[in-house]
Amino acid sequence: MKLFSSYNRILSIITLTGLLVIGFLFYQTLGQYLNKQIDDHLFEELLEVEDFTHVKNILPSPDGFDDVIVEYKKIHQVTNKRRLFADTNFYNPKKKHTESARYLKTELNLNGQPYQVMIIASKFERQEQIKSIILIILLPVIILLLILWLVNRILIKRMWLPFRELLSNIKAFNINQEKVFEPIQTNIEEFKELNKAVLDVSLKVKSDYREIKLFTENASHEMMTPLAVINSKLDTMLQSNTLGKEESEILADLYKATSKLTKLNQSLLLLVKIDNNQLQDKEKIDLKALIEEKLNYFQEFIQKRSLQVQTNMSPFSISANRSLMEILINNLLSNAIRHNYDGGSIQITLTKDNLIFSNTSAQSALHPGKIFERFYKDNTSEGTGLGLAILKQVCLRQNYKLSYGYEQGYHQFKINFDGPENEIR
Amino acid sequence: MKFLIVEDEESLRKSIDQYLTAEGNICDHAATYEQGYQKLSIYDYDCILLDLTLPDGEGLQLLKYLKKINKTDGVLIISARNSLDQKIEGLSLGADDYLIKPFHLSELYARIQSIVRRRHFNGNTIIHFNEIEIDTAAKETKVNGKTVYLTRKEFDLLLYFIANKNKVISKAAAVEHIWGDDADMADSFDFIYTHIKNVRKKLTDSGCKDYFQSVYGVGYKFADV
Repeated sequence: MKLFSSYNRILSIITLTGLLVIGFLFYQTLGQYLNKQIDDHLFEELLEVEDFTHVKNILPSPDGFDDVIVEYKKIHQVTNKRRLFADTNFYNPKKKHTESARYLKTELNLNGQPYQVMIIASKFERQEQIKSIILIILLPVIILLLILWLVNRILIKRMWLPFRELLSNIKAFNINQEKVFEPIQTNIEEFKELNKAVLDVSLKVKSDYREIKLFTENASHEMMTPLAVINSKLDTMLQSNTLGKEESEILADLYKATSKLTKLNQSLLLLVKIDNNQLQDKEKIDLKALIEEKLNYFQEFIQKRSLQVQTNMSPFSISANRSLMEILINNLLSNAIRHNYDGGSIQITLTKDNLIFSNTSAQSALHPGKIFERFYKDNTSEGTGLGLAILKQVCLRQNYKLSYGYEQGYHQFKINFDGPENEIR
Repeated sequence: MKFLIVEDEESLRKSIDQYLTAEGNICDHAATYEQGYQKLSIYDYDCILLDLTLPDGEGLQLLKYLKKINKTDGVLIISARNSLDQKIEGLSLGADDYLIKPFHLSELYARIQSIVRRRHFNGNTIIHFNEIEIDTAAKETKVNGKTVYLTRKEFDLLLYFIANKNKVISKAAAVEHIWGDDADMADSFDFIYTHIKNVRKKLTDSGCKDYFQSVYGVGYKFADV
């Protein structure tokens, strides 16, 4: 739930119950007050009836009053002199319908005769009054509340605007890109603080990341010279005339290990280079020609494993860095060859915007989220475990969409070149 | 031939020296910028092996100096940095080739010979090995005067072995020479066997003696025994 709706919910519950309680109490008090007024009026009427009979010696006519109805009933004896006030309904002969009313009932002697007198007054108009009063008071309150709620909403929206900006800037922040985190302009102290904290963190993360990259680069470079020494010493040993079978086998293993270490180092350096955007010169590259060139380059590997290569390529050119594209095709192709089985097949499809490499393999479907991670590989692979990571990095840098799928025994790597920056200008 | 090795890593310098002198070449050493500066001012070399990062200076400065004093020695840059910019800078300053560490000595020697060939035997690019005749410019191979048709890779392989004749070339070195280091085919070392078998067959079919010798699964040697 959003902060605003949460805040709003609490506010509206309180306002609504408050309004109901206050309205109810208000209505009750007002009703009682009005009843009291009517009761006073009824009492006055009673006094008037007494005066009238006293002066004129006759009972006043029941319809002789403007707004009340008086009823007389002869009784034997006045037993209860108490005056009783209560609510009732009565038929209004003038308006010809039943209305709620209030009456005063008492027993008294009129002209020496005991009578039960009942005076009834209509409450209709008073009730209408109450309604009007409540409406007059409550309506502005409700309107005021609505306005307050609206103002609140706009105000909060505006107040949180810097926060939203900040959030979108944080989301846009990418450690891999040169662009630093953009601080926002705000006068609100809390946001200023948050801004500063995020800015500090982003700068720290950036510099740490840069340092790690620099470290990787330097470490890999520093390793090259010792590797060169090992290589040259191996080459020197290989020339020895006294080399037996056992020593040769050891040498062969050493060569393999050294070569693997060298590749690993080169791959790491390449990753750093791609990360650093060092390969930026773009040119128009005929992808179809490039793939055909690479197929030719790897043809011995393909023949040795008797792989069937099916190509379905339409001419497609792209504006990109040549080295990166070569690495891309190299990695895709060597991956498809290396993880294949003898007599397997490779399908290469190049359409407008899409390049798909599919290959058969002894392995079943791979984990699509993990295969592009650095050093993720199965135990049987003798590769560096960086080939696909490099592939991913190249695609990431060039805004290509790289995806992996497994369909009917084929591992499929698909690259979608569809991006605004990749059009040929 | 006479070479100057400008390299601060002593053990590497020694290995290169050993490999080259065994072939009857003469090697001079320089461990620092200063030593290199003095040596190349005084003597002439067929080829200078130049490391770019020296303890007291930049190898590229030596290259600039060499060109300034109008010397025509061949220059092969050896660098640990595989950077395109540096490569371009080195080559545009007049270096003949650029080799990235780590390298195989057989690769180094093949490159040196290629440089020397280009510099010294202007136009004459024919290499002879007994009955084999290789025209490096036309990329043609002849056995007893008869043309043998080799693919480009087979031709490269043969040239590589002849450049390093009487030396054992490891499979790793041969694979890297043919497919470069971007292939990432580490598990395909044994694969070079098929390739050599093809070259061997084409040569022997044309009446050439079999000069390829296998060295226990670690490498091959091209020699006339």
